[in-house]
Amino acid sequence: MLTLDLAKPGSKVRIVNIDGKGWVQRLYQMGLLPGSIAEVVANYGVGPIVLRVMGSEVALGRGIARRIVVEEVKEG
Amino acid sequence: MKQITVAIAGQPNVGKSTLFNLLTGSRVLVANWPGVTVEKHEGFTEYKGYRIRFVDLPGVYGLSALTLEERISRSYILSGEADVLVALVDSTIPERTLYLPVQILEMFKKVVIVFTKYDLAHKLGLHVNLQHLEKRLGVPVVAVSARSGLGVSFLLDKIIEVAEHGGRGDYLRVDYGELEPFINSIESKLSGCGALAGYPLRWLSVRLLEGDAELARVVSEKCGSKIYEEVEEIRGEAKRVVGSDLAAVASSKRFAFITSITSESIVRLRLQQPTRSGSIFYHPLVGPALSILIVLSIFILAFIINTGFPLNVILSALGYRELAEEVEALSLSNLMSTSLGWLQELARSHIANPVLASFISDGVIGGVASILIFLPLIFMVMLILSIVEDTGLLPRMAVGVSTLTSRIGLSGNALFPITISMGCNVPGVFGARASLSSGERLRQILTLPLIPCQARLIVLLALATALKTLGGWLLVFLGYLTAFASFAVLNYIFYKLSREKEPVPEMLLEIPALHRPLGRVVWWMTWNNVKHFIAKAGTIIFASSIIIWALVSLTPGLTYTEDASASIAASLSRFLAPAVYPFQITGGKAWIIVFGLLMGLIAKEVFISSVITVSGSPSFTDAISSIGLSDPQIVAVGVFITLYMPCLATISAIYSETRSLKLTLLSIVLSITVAYAASTAIYYLILVL
Ligand SMILES: Nc1nc2c(ncn2[C@@H]2O[C@H](COP(=O)(O)OP(=O)(O)OP(=O)(O)O)[C@@H](O)[C@H]2O)c(=O)[nH]1
Repeated sequence: MLTLDLAKPGSKVRIVNIDGKGWVQRLYQMGLLPGSIAEVVANYGVGPIVLRVMGSEVALGRGIARRIVVEEVKEG
Repeated sequence: MKQITVAIAGQPNVGKSTLFNLLTGSRVLVANWPGVTVEKHEGFTEYKGYRIRFVDLPGVYGLSALTLEERISRSYILSGEADVLVALVDSTIPERTLYLPVQILEMFKKVVIVFTKYDLAHKLGLHVNLQHLEKRLGVPVVAVSARSGLGVSFLLDKIIEVAEHGGRGDYLRVDYGELEPFINSIESKLSGCGALAGYPLRWLSVRLLEGDAELARVVSEKCGSKIYEEVEEIRGEAKRVVGSDLAAVASSKRFAFITSITSESIVRLRLQQPTRSGSIFYHPLVGPALSILIVLSIFILAFIINTGFPLNVILSALGYRELAEEVEALSLSNLMSTSLGWLQELARSHIANPVLASFISDGVIGGVASILIFLPLIFMVMLILSIVEDTGLLPRMAVGVSTLTSRIGLSGNALFPITISMGCNVPGVFGARASLSSGERLRQILTLPLIPCQARLIVLLALATALKTLGGWLLVFLGYLTAFASFAVLNYIFYKLSREKEPVPEMLLEIPALHRPLGRVVWWMTWNNVKHFIAKAGTIIFASSIIIWALVSLTPGLTYTEDASASIAASLSRFLAPAVYPFQITGGKAWIIVFGLLMGLIAKEVFISSVITVSGSPSFTDAISSIGLSDPQIVAVGVFITLYMPCLATISAIYSETRSLKLTLLSIVLSITVAYAASTAIYYLILVL
C-alpha cells in the first residue's frame, strides 16, 4: 500500500481509502472511490498526477494525491 | 400554443452546450441564476404545435450541493418548474456519465435520457442497446449526434410524449445494500412530516444519510429539530455499523447499479482503449514550455493580423521598410480607423452646423469606432479560444503550467487570459471564463486589468522618447515589471483571503480526449461571446463616449468650444491637478497630465494625443518638456498610466462579466491604489539612487 503520489506511471492501482472532506465527493462523482481501479497516466514527481478512470482522464494535485491510499494491481 | 419547459442536465464535457445550441438555434437568452453570477441560458423552439422552452442547467458531476452549480441544478430540479428533464450521457464514457442521470431519476420522474456524440460511439466500436436501457431505466433513451444531426427530431418527439403522458410512475430505486435499513428508517421518520409532501422522500433520506448539510437544514426548518436529531442518530448508528464513509458507500452502490445495467446493454466490439494523445503536456518541463509556446504564437498571430505588430518592427529592423509599412497598412485596426476617419471627415464636411458636425463625427462615430476597434481582436481571440477549448488542448495546457500558477492561487487555465490581456484587457477579462472556479474567475477579472496591454506599451514607448538621461528600456522594463509583480501579489493576497471558502483549492480536473473541433461548436462559442460584448460592453462604451465628447466640447458655461483647454474636462483637470502631486509634479501645467490621464480612460493611448493637443506643442516630446517633467517623474507617470485604472472598454467588460457595480468599483479603486503605491515608490527610489 502506498499513497497515490508515489504510484509509478503506467501502473494500475486500486483505491483503498481517501481521506478528506467535501472534495472527496467530487472524486466519488468522477468514479474515484474505494475499490475502483485507475491507471496512472502521468506522475513526474512534481505537478499534477493524471489518472485514467472509467475511460476518462483526471488530473489531481499532489496534495490530493497524498491523501489517497492505493495498492498496485498486477496485470493478469 | 402549448408550452413545455425542458431542463437540460449533464456532466461537464458531455456535449450539453452543443445539444442546447442545436435544439434552440440562436434564439438564446442569457441571464443569471437568481442571486448568483452563474450564467443561465434559455432558448426556445417550436415543434409540432408546441412551444418548447429549454433551460440549460450548469454542468455538474452530481447533485450533492458540493458547489454553487450543483446547488443551482438541484434546487431547479426540485422546484418543479421543468415539465421534462433531459439528462445527458456521453456515449464515449457511458458508465462514468450515467452517474448524474441516475441521481436525477431518483428525484424526478419525467426524464428523457440522451446519449450524446453517438457518431463517436460507432468509431470506438461501442454498441448501445437503447431498448434494453429504456426497459431498465423506465424512461425513453435517445441517441443523438451533433455532427450529423441524428436523433434531434426523435428527441423532440420523446420530450412531448413524456410531457403529455408522464415518465416513470415512481422514482428510480437503486439498491443501496447495507445502507437500506437506515434509509428506510429515515424515510419513515420523514414521512411523518407533512411539510415535506411532494419531496422525493427516499432520495432525501439517502442524501441525509450521506451527510448533506443543506438538506439537513431544510429538514430541520420544515419539520423541526426533533426529526432532524432522530435522523442524526440513525446516521451515527449507520456509521458505526457500516464502518466507512457513507457517501463513498452510496456512490459505489450507484456505480454498481450502473454497471449492472450497462453490462447487459453496452457492448464493446473493439477491446483496445482509444489511443490517447497529448500526454506530452503532462511533462513538468515540456508541458509548460509547449503551452507557453502555443499561447505565444496564437497571441502573436492575432496581433499581427490586428495591428501588424510585431511583424512590422521585425521587418523594418531587417531593412524591409516598405514591406513593414504594407503589413501595417493592411492590419485590421488600420483598415478600420482609415475608413472611420473617412466617415468622420464626411460627416464634418457635410453638416453645416459645427456643433452638430462635431457631435456626429467625434461623439457618435467616434463612439462607434471605439467599439468597432476592439471587435476584430475580440472576435479573433474568441475564435482561437473556442478552438483551443474545443480540441481539448486547453485543459492539457492548464495541467502543464499549473505548477507555476498555483503559487499565486491560479489554475493553469489562467495562462490564456493573462496572455490575451497583454494584447488587450477586454478579451482577457472575457477569457477568465476558462477558470476552474467562480472564485478564481473573480480574482482573475479583478486583477487582469493590471496586465499591460498594447495601448499601454505604446504610451510607455512614447514616454521613453521624452527621457533625457535615463534609458528608455528602463521605463518599459519597470512598467512591465511592476505590472506583473502587482498582478502576482494581488492574486496571492486575494487567494489567501478566500482560501477557506474554496472547496477545491487544488487541481481536480477532468481532461477530455483530444479531438478535431466541430465547426458549428466553434462558431457558436465565438459568436455568442462577441454578441455578448457588443450588447453589454458596447452600449456602455458608446454612452461614455458621448459623455466624454460633451466634457471636451463644452465650456463650463455650456457653450460649444473647439479649444479643449477651455472645456469642462480641462477645468475638471485643473481641479484634479493635486492627483499628480505625489510625483512632485506641481507647476501651472500639471493639469495637462491629469487631462491626459482622464482622456486615457477612453483608451490608454489617447493620453498621448490629448497631451499634445492641450499643451499646443508640435510633438509629444515637446509637450512633456514644456510641462517640465524630470526623468524620475516621467518614469513615475509611465508606471502610473500602466496601472491606474482599466480603460472604459475594460471597465464595461468587467461589469458585463460580473454584473456587479460593487465589484466593478472595487476593481477601479484597487488599480488606483496599486498605481499610486507602485509609482510613488518607484519615483522616490529613482530619486534616491
Ligand atoms: N463527434 C462529436 N463531438 C461532439 C458532439 N457533441 C459535442 N461534441 C464535442 O464534445 C465536446 C464537448 O461539448 P460541449 O457542448 O462543449 O460540452 P458541454 O457539456 O457543454 O461542456 P462544458 O462546455 O464544459 O460544460 C466539444 O468539444 C464538442 O465538439 C457530437 O455529437 N459528436
